[in-house]
Formats: sequence, C-alpha cells, structure tokens
Amino acid sequence: MSRFTSTERLTRLLAIIPWVVEQEQVTLDEVAERFGYPRERLVNDLQDVVPFVGVYPFTPDALVEVELDDDTVSIRYADWFSQPLRLPADKGLALLAAGQSMLEISGEDEDGPLLRALTKVGTAIGVDAHGAIDVRIGAASEQILATLRTAVAENREVELDYYVFSRDERVTRTIEPHRLHADLGQWYVDSFCQLARAPRVFRVDRIRSATLRDGTFTAPDTAGAPTVFNAAADVARVVLEIDASARWVADTYPYDRLEDLDDGAFRLTLAVTGDPWLERLLLRLGPAARVVGGDARFGGTFTADAAARVLARYPR
Amino acid sequence: MTKLERLLNLTAALLATERPLPVDELRVRLEGYSDSDDAFRRAFERDKESLRLMGIPISVEPIHGTDPPGSGYRIHPGDYGGVDPQLEPDELAALHLAATKVRLEGIDGAGVMQTLGGGSVEGDDEVLAELPAHDELGPLFEATRAKRQVEFRYGDMVRRVEPWHLSFHRGHWYINGWDHVREAERLYRVDRFASEVTVGGPAVVDRPERPSSNAARRPAWEMGDDEPVEATIRIDPDLSMWARAHLGPDAEVIEHADGSIDATLSVRNVEAFRSFVLTFLDRAEVLAPPELRTDLIEWLEAQT
Repeated sequence: MSRFTSTERLTRLLAIIPWVVEQEQVTLDEVAERFGYPRERLVNDLQDVVPFVGVYPFTPDALVEVELDDDTVSIRYADWFSQPLRLPADKGLALLAAGQSMLEISGEDEDGPLLRALTKVGTAIGVDAHGAIDVRIGAASEQILATLRTAVAENREVELDYYVFSRDERVTRTIEPHRLHADLGQWYVDSFCQLARAPRVFRVDRIRSATLRDGTFTAPDTAGAPTVFNAAADVARVVLEIDASARWVADTYPYDRLEDLDDGAFRLTLAVTGDPWLERLLLRLGPAARVVGGDARFGGTFTADAAARVLARYPR
Repeated sequence: MTKLERLLNLTAALLATERPLPVDELRVRLEGYSDSDDAFRRAFERDKESLRLMGIPISVEPIHGTDPPGSGYRIHPGDYGGVDPQLEPDELAALHLAATKVRLEGIDGAGVMQTLGGGSVEGDDEVLAELPAHDELGPLFEATRAKRQVEFRYGDMVRRVEPWHLSFHRGHWYINGWDHVREAERLYRVDRFASEVTVGGPAVVDRPERPSSNAARRPAWEMGDDEPVEATIRIDPDLSMWARAHLGPDAEVIEHADGSIDATLSVRNVEAFRSFVLTFLDRAEVLAPPELRTDLIEWLEAQT
C-alpha cells in the first residue's frame, strides 16, 4: 500500500500523535493534509498500530487509546509522546539555510510569511534564526536579480550588457531567460541566446545591466541543463608547471591532465577559453608558475607582454 | 508484530523509564523480538541504530551497584522533546517551498517539513540552489545553539573554539567564534577542517550581542595577518559593475562622471589584494598607498 519505510512512518507518527492529542478531536483529512501522509495509510496506522503501542505490561491502562470513526480521530493516554521529537541539528540548519536563501532569491517583505516562519523555527530550536547563521548564496546586484526573476516568471526577453570574463570583452545580448539558479556562490541564468541561436549560461555578477523587453517567448517544457563550463576540443590548451604553494589552481579550474612532480609541484594541462583568462592566472601566480607547453602563442613573451600592458598604467 | 510497532514501543519504553534499562530487561519489557539470543541482539542493535539515525537521542548510562558493572539505555524526555513552532498555514507553505527549492546537499529538507506539519506542496519541485554540506555542520550548529566548546584540527593545530556564528558565503561554509588557543575571535572554513569536530564543555566567553556576522562576507584581502592599510584602486567604467559585486560590504566607493570608480579597501592580506587587482588586468590601477603601488609594480616587473 505504501512507499513509506518503517522509519518514515515512525517519523510521521511521532509528529502526528502529539499533535492529535493536543487538538482533542480532528478530522482525518486535516491530519493527512497537514503531515503529507496518505489518508489510507493514516487510517491503517491508527487502526492497526497505534492502539498497540504502550509500555510493559501492555495492559489496557498501559496502552495508547485511539478513538476513530469515519471522519475523525482522537488520541488519549499517550503521555510518553506528549511532545514532538526535537528537530535534529542538521535538519534545523537545512531549514534555516533554505529559508534564508529563499529570502535572497525571492526578496520577501519584512512581515512576509517566510520571515515569520524562520523566526518561529529559530525560537523553537533555540537559536536566533537571523543571528546564528548567515547564508548568502551568491554575490550579485539585487536589482539585476530582480529583473531576471521577473523575466523568468513572465517569459520576457531581456537585453544584457554582459562582460565576457574569459575574453575580457563587453557584449550586448538579447536572451530568453529560462531559469535562475545558484551554485558554489555564484548566480547563473540559463538562457537561450538569440544571437548564438543556442542555449547559453550567463553569470549574473558579470551582467552590467539587464533591461526587460516587450518580447515574450515560450519556455521549453524541460529547461535543459546546459553546462557552465564545457571546454570544446578545439579550444587551445596550455601546459603549466606550478609550485606546491599554488595547489589551489588544480582545485579551482577544470583540467585535462594533472601530473605530480617533485616537492608537491605539479604539471597541469588546462583549456584556455580566452587569452585574458590565462593572462590573469599567470600574472597572479607570478614566479609560482611556468608555461612549459601547449599552444605556441602562450609561450615566449605571452606573460611578459601582459605584464607590460598592465605596467603601462604606472608610468615612472 | 511489525517493525514500526516494535520501534514505537522501544521508544515509549526508553522514554517512560526513569533509570537506564539493561538490554536483558528491555527484552522482557518488549514484545516482538525473537526468542533466540543472537537474533534478538541483532534486531535490537538495528532498531537502536534506526532510532538514532532519526535523531532520537538514546543515551547509554552505567547502572550502579551491579557486578560486573553494566550499562543501560534510556531517552531523557528533555533531550527528546522539541517545541512545536506553531506555524500558520501560510508560514508552513513558505517554509516548505524554500526547503524544496534550496537543498543542503544530502539532507532532505522537504522531508523535515512533514514532521513540522508541512504537508505537501503542489507545484514544481525544481531545485534552484544546492548548498554543499559537511559532516561537521550538524555538530557545529548544535554546539552554537547549545553554547558548547568544540575542538577540531585546522592546519597544523588543534583548535579549541567557542562557535558563535555559522555562515555560507562565496560557496563555502565558515564558522566564526572565540579561539581559546589564539585567544581571539577567528574565522574558519569548514571544508578545511582536518578532523572531525568533538564537542567539549560549556562555553565560557561572553558571546557578543551581534558577532561579527559579516566575517565570512569579508573579501579575501581583509582576511590575513598583515598590518591593515587603506588602499584605493581605480576601476574602469566597463568593469565597475562587476567590481561592485565583489568589493564587499565595507568598501567605500566613489563613482566618477565617466562611470569609473575609486574603491577604498581595508587590506590585511597583500597577496590577495594583488590577485584581486590583477583580475582587472590593465583596467584597474592601484592609486594608494605608495607601498602597495610599488609592490604591484615590482611584482609585474619581475615578470617582464
């Protein structure tokens, strides 16, 4: 009859029993809806399980009493289960974190239901929900996030002034935004790009401005999940030898190949999506990295030229 | 007798007792277990584990006056019972939606809702964001809540910390609190813990009314042990928007007529500051102080 495991049923009953006890008498429909528990399953448990719960010696006075008719239920003598099970710490944290993130996503008013719920849950757990944890899922302009949220909700086209980080270039694109989501501290908008005539993902913090357009679009049934980084086979590669002190490079960027060298140093083969991306990485690493292979244009004076260009801002 | 009934009765027996119950006595007091010693032991261990996984706090305590010394099980009602937050229907719905849309990796937030009476929400269950989780988060959060000290290995040292504030920022979880070894407030990245968290004695340092809750929002250049200096960088108009999203809450920003900005930052980590400036390549310039300007020039000259 059910997809529920014993412990899932137990979790529900440990919540349902104290609640029903406190209500004195409630309808079965109300219990089923409140606890997301199918009515048929509920009736079965109330009939065949709960009345047999009790303590030694299981005489009638040591058992829970359930009164059940076609529509209503009341429970008595369930003193051991007079309180609901305390929310475990990790689950409490998951709820508060989800709630705070959602506030960031949907931008709720100060007296909105989510904010009220978080305050209550925090109090029940014993923490200040707004002081003990602080969850920010991504750095982005509130205003741009709001514009994109509206566009996604209303299927409106958006014109973006976008900064292509890897190529260090500013572009204008009209997109059909399908979905806004956050991952590893960044906001992304999955879109259909009208210029490329293909799905594209844009990072919200690189959008300089977003303007709602009058045009609308039909959202795809299932938003495809285009990947953010998809190094095409024809993208140029660079091979770097990097000192142990900059191990983070291997943890941060997707790479084709990693070889360990002596003293914790390593050799890394990386896809270069745009020359400026590699210039930044090399200038930042300084003496900790050396170009040892890959596309010939990254060797020679590639790094020195980039350094000289930046130095031009500092005339002596 | 079903497993569900057995688990309910085991929970009731452990909650009802006022002294720890040894296994042999539980066996007499509970129905539904096998007569065979081995089968009973195995079933009991499994049931106990099931209850613990649900978050039911079963404690193991010594039984006095027995020879050889024995131990028994019980559940302290004070550890077990929670407070019903008494959520109104609209609050439940809002919280349920949040728990469906934002996941803490590996934890079924929407499932939690059913025990709060969250019911089920109609509509799409598309996840908008998933936050990474670590085994240490639960114990850290619990220690924050219960005002306990924790110990963990971080870098080469064992730290003894009173956790104050847990935060998630730029893709990482951080814990901030009082470090008893350093005798100062410190911030740690949870994914860099080199050991499990052990929970110790009660916290003894006064927790500030509002801990530096923005600690983890601080940009990398503010997190270091260098002598703090005020640094000003100019950023070209094209990149000013992107820069603003990454400057942190404490930066002072002046916008010029052409759209370029001057941002004044408090720098405690020169290396991180240099990396930040270099992400702009030739579209940004360190204006002040002279020593940071010189540092950048020398760094670049070494590469020409």
